[in-house]
Amino acid sequence: SKQWYQRRVRGKEGDGNLRRKEGNERVEVVDAVPLFHYNISLSPMLTVALTQIEEYAINRGLRICGYYHANEFHSDNDIGFVAARIADRIAENCEEGACLLLVNNEKLDHIATELPFKVFFPVRSTDRIDWKEGEEPILQYGERGLTLGPEIMKTQLYQSVVDMDSHYDDVRCHWDNAALNEVVTLFTESIPDLEEVEE
Amino acid sequence: AVVSTQSTGEHVRCSDKIVELGEYALAHYSSNLGNEKWAVYEQLCVAALDLCPVKMKVVNRCIQKLAEQFPSSLRVSMLEGLKSEYLKKWDEALEMYNGMIEYEPTFPAPYKRKVAIYKAQGKVSDAVSELNRYLTTFSCDHESWLELADLYIGQQSYKQALFCVEELLLQHPHNHLFHQRYADILHTLGGKENLEASCKYYCRAAELNSSNVRALYGVLMSSSTLASIGKISAKAKSDNLTLAAWACDMIEEFYKSQRVGKSVILETASVLDKLSLK
Repeated sequence: SKQWYQRRVRGKEGDGNLRRKEGNERVEVVDAVPLFHYNISLSPMLTVALTQIEEYAINRGLRICGYYHANEFHSDNDIGFVAARIADRIAENCEEGACLLLVNNEKLDHIATELPFKVFFPVRSTDRIDWKEGEEPILQYGERGLTLGPEIMKTQLYQSVVDMDSHYDDVRCHWDNAALNEVVTLFTESIPDLEEVEE
Repeated sequence: AVVSTQSTGEHVRCSDKIVELGEYALAHYSSNLGNEKWAVYEQLCVAALDLCPVKMKVVNRCIQKLAEQFPSSLRVSMLEGLKSEYLKKWDEALEMYNGMIEYEPTFPAPYKRKVAIYKAQGKVSDAVSELNRYLTTFSCDHESWLELADLYIGQQSYKQALFCVEELLLQHPHNHLFHQRYADILHTLGGKENLEASCKYYCRAAELNSSNVRALYGVLMSSSTLASIGKISAKAKSDNLTLAAWACDMIEEFYKSQRVGKSVILETASVLDKLSLK
């Protein structure tokens, strides 16, 4: 695809879901909001979008915990200036547990067997943030979860994804993608023996 | 048609549908189509390239049929060039396009494919030079000015991006999107003068099209930021606050007029409060 997709990931906290392990907090990522596929690095709409998503998250007991980015070109798999700038901004507003997920476009061909993104965590110094690669995240359904992706792709559900750009083009479209998420939930519920990973 | 239009009249890239419909039409309605069928072959070829490697046979068949019907056609050569691009045979494609440009310098397509190749290779400065060269001849191509602006924005060369959008504003002074885009870049540059200018351009965009919600948010963002700058006169501060409040009202009205859900309206109101407090 020749589009850049950017997302914000929202995490759950409180109610004992934020568990501590070896002094590191664990964050559960429960949702992602796609941001822009155009005009990505221009400032005003970014601020508006982040504020809207934050409001939405707070009203549902969630918080923004990271940023998800995919570059335009197949072979471009680095954290570029734009991704870093937006990720920095989110990390600054996030007391702890921020993350950056960078999609590896080349791995998109193999999503049934391996995660198509890398996770980075912020290392803060006095005047900058560096993003260091971290451990692979634990998927809700473990390795079996990887196979869900291609299955859902076959239904072409991706055609109906609404991102913030689509919302500003037509405010009647909501970026929570409620209908789409419901289909995904129904789909996962229909799979026999799909167990959540306990940890 | 090569582009399927949705109800908004937007151009969309739906290669899988085009391949499905194109193949069906050529298989069952070839005689009905008459001379239209060559256009279908061309469009089918371009769409099938998006679905390669699966549809490579379709690509080859289209090129073959078209080459038979239109020997030494530039448009058929373009398809060969696109195929080379898909196969990442950049040098071969560039040679083909350079040859076409030499033979027929008024045919715009190969110039643009060269830019696309440089982009794909990550050679952004080459893409920029090539696009600049193209625009000296084809200065009315507004999509290319936008593309060049995007390339500059990606490099954080905002002043050059402004220049591109200025060209667009000269040629299309009533296009609200270009005013809004100009304002977006000014706002991103930041600083008091740029924010003041961006506010004006956002206002103009909103005036030209009151449904441009990005322009309205832009008015809100720029005027509230200006109101909070220390070195500003009391009158300017008050004017900016009034403008920000106006923008909030307009945005709320707009959401209500679009019949969005009540919870969205409530959330939006809360968001607008937060944005104005900046």
